[in-house]
Amino acid sequence: MAGPAHPDAMAPRKPGRTRTAPPQTPASWWGSSRIRTYLLFDATGIIYFLVGFLAIGLISDLGNGPIAWHRALERLGNPIYIAFHVLSLAAVIFVAVRFFRLFPKAQPPRIGPVAPPPGPVIHVTLYVVWIGITVLMTAILAGVIF
Amino acid sequence: MTSELKTTTKTIVITRFDPDRDEKPRKQEYQVPCESNWKVLDAVNFIKDEIDATVSHRWSCRMAVCGSCGMMVNGEPKLTCKTSINDYDDRVDIEPLANFPIVRDLVVELDGFMHKFESVKPWIVRAKEEAEDKATRHPVKDTYNQSAAELAEFKQFSMCINCMLCYSACPVVANEPEFLGPAAIALGHRYNLDSRDEGTEERLDIFRGEGTVFSCSYANECSEVCPKNVDPAAAVNQAKFGAVIDWAKGLVLPRGGTQ
Repeated sequence: MAGPAHPDAMAPRKPGRTRTAPPQTPASWWGSSRIRTYLLFDATGIIYFLVGFLAIGLISDLGNGPIAWHRALERLGNPIYIAFHVLSLAAVIFVAVRFFRLFPKAQPPRIGPVAPPPGPVIHVTLYVVWIGITVLMTAILAGVIF
Repeated sequence: MTSELKTTTKTIVITRFDPDRDEKPRKQEYQVPCESNWKVLDAVNFIKDEIDATVSHRWSCRMAVCGSCGMMVNGEPKLTCKTSINDYDDRVDIEPLANFPIVRDLVVELDGFMHKFESVKPWIVRAKEEAEDKATRHPVKDTYNQSAAELAEFKQFSMCINCMLCYSACPVVANEPEFLGPAAIALGHRYNLDSRDEGTEERLDIFRGEGTVFSCSYANECSEVCPKNVDPAAAVNQAKFGAVIDWAKGLVLPRGGTQ
């Protein structure tokens, strides 16, 4: 076993007359590629937390006038910031792909009288919408439209 | 004509725990001549029958139906009657199911699981007709017809054999004792999807209660280890979806959701 689970995990409602050994977590957790992938998925939350701070800082710079804003833009050109953004992009893609893979089976067989479309249709739709929004946002930010 | 089965001697390491003698679980090694067609359960039974009668484990049907013989095999929850011993190297580590208190050797405490199981009301609730029955003292209806399409909506979730492998694999079960867990939620969701049932509202209250379905972080491990392809992770996340839809209906409809 890998280590102790919560001491009350799957505990009986009332302690029995026989002493029991405390529950343990599976030894495979840290060696399993599935669990490593899941932990990586959870760990991406740290990146989104930092992105949130960065965004709040940029909004603050924008409110402090043109000089502060231009300084912020120069700061974003720093290789460390660029590396962080590449890492954030990788994290977003990783989470989106995992989420899209698991999303179809989380749909109930029907919502009221309406049955959701088949899983592969939901899967493809998610990718189409994601790519569509990305292209639209890129066009807006590049000044191609608006 | 009989064919000779190849025999390979493997080191089977079994977790031993005697509550009267052992402070904590310990390991014990056995040399077992495993035949090529053996399952892991055959090796454990061989130890029990031929080497050490004090080893305790649960098993019954030997055909992946009763759900009794779940154990950790090399750290993974497995139904040992369905897992070939020859899928493993010469050393095989067999432990009691993870995340459960250990009663003795490979036997785990089931009471907590049974309590979670019954808490989701795993039976067909007929609230309205029960009331009518009490008033008239006559059975209102003996049978409740169901179409093949209605059956197909929940059939997958009714295939659970209560082997508890999903509880052993779930990282949330390991850390949140209140969490109802994959099999119990899948069973409750199975009845919520049943066209004959009228207990969805009661179960949604349970799903949103102390052992909330929202504790599930969708690690998907329960579905990975399920020996009957029940896909409890799908049930848990469909139950989450249902709870959210019901909450949203409650905001916009005067009589709330679950109608």
